[in-house]
Amino acid sequence: MIAVLALVAGVALGLWYDPEVPAALQPYLPIAVVAALDAVFGGVRAKLDRIFDDKQFVVSFISNVLVAGLIVYLGDQLGVGGQLSTGVVVVLGVRIFGNVAAIRRHLFRA
Amino acid sequence: MTDAPRDGRNRGDRVYAPDFLTELFRNPLDPGYADAAARRREDPQSGSAWRRWPARSVTLVVVLVLGFLFAVAYRQTMEDEPGRSQVRSGLVEQIKQRESETDRLSERAEQLRAEVARQRAAALGSSEAARLRSLEAGTGLGRVRGDGVVVRLADAPKDEDAVIRADVGPSQVLYSDLQGVANDLWAAGAEAIAVNGQRLTAMSTIRQAGQAILVDYRPVTGPYEVSAIGPEEMRDRYDRSRSALTMRTVAEETGLSFGIREAEDLTLPAAPDPRLRYAEPSVSPSPSPSGADRSVSPGPSRSGTSPSPSGGG
Repeated sequence: MIAVLALVAGVALGLWYDPEVPAALQPYLPIAVVAALDAVFGGVRAKLDRIFDDKQFVVSFISNVLVAGLIVYLGDQLGVGGQLSTGVVVVLGVRIFGNVAAIRRHLFRA
Repeated sequence: MTDAPRDGRNRGDRVYAPDFLTELFRNPLDPGYADAAARRREDPQSGSAWRRWPARSVTLVVVLVLGFLFAVAYRQTMEDEPGRSQVRSGLVEQIKQRESETDRLSERAEQLRAEVARQRAAALGSSEAARLRSLEAGTGLGRVRGDGVVVRLADAPKDEDAVIRADVGPSQVLYSDLQGVANDLWAAGAEAIAVNGQRLTAMSTIRQAGQAILVDYRPVTGPYEVSAIGPEEMRDRYDRSRSALTMRTVAEETGLSFGIREAEDLTLPAAPDPRLRYAEPSVSPSPSPSGADRSVSPGPSRSGTSPSPSGGG
């Protein structure tokens, strides 16, 4: 419950504060969002599985975002940024899908 | 429930299944959660209250950051969008503007050309002027009027694209169709041809650039009307030509429309003046004088000589 409030507060803060994203970081924003979504759904699922762990959540969030950004950066340097970010999105997308399916099973028993 | 609960003991020697993707699909949750849960079960003190509170607050901070990230990404995407469409509409505007400018200028060129023709007719003898006019009509540099044929080609309506049949090809008019029609009209005896009001000359091109068809580097859009002025039997001759047969078959199979009709009193505009090209010797025999010559001559001598080819015929 508090987590949801914190999320809403973060969104409100972002909308209200409206920070300027530096141009160098802009290409990594979408991929960071996907990585963050993966961490969120993983955390929600773990909560429903009753195995949620704060440390695990924090570490997985930070490392997900950093690694995803790093992979895309590396890809950009090698000239395969588009393909690598597709790969990242596919892997994270599969995980998000799987976790959402598990959450759905928890919530609706179906 | 995770379908494969792991206990803490084999945590160290956890191996990824040889097929990483299968593993990914089967068990999307980070294995770390199961490990942590197992650790806690084994050693309940590790998650005691004094340690849990800072961790909880860190989690809350991370969630806050998450929301912040989402909001920023949303903002960013929304901000980019108007910029992108603005740039696009700006470009469209520029294209429109330049096109209308080109139209205006070519209209002016037309007027000036008519003026030149009038002056020339006044200066020349009537027989020479007539010869010049007929030459201009033949080469596409003069406006012509007469009876002839209009061949109309149009893309198939869009909704029929839903059933694309691989064996019959696209249901759009291709540049090669227009080329075929124009070539067969010349072969059928046409004296002057225009595609959508663009007069064809001996040096005209019909090309494709992306989705657009360019006639002499100016885009034309469907429906395409190829008007030709020529003798009376041109229509029958064209009717039997290869491109007419092909296009009729294509029209039957793809739903593209193709029609030939006779037309009276067609007016075909003049083509823009051709850019005259000059041959230059590939190797100048004596470099220094010819180089000096060239540096002086181009401006005046070219503008001076340019009327002479058309004047001399």
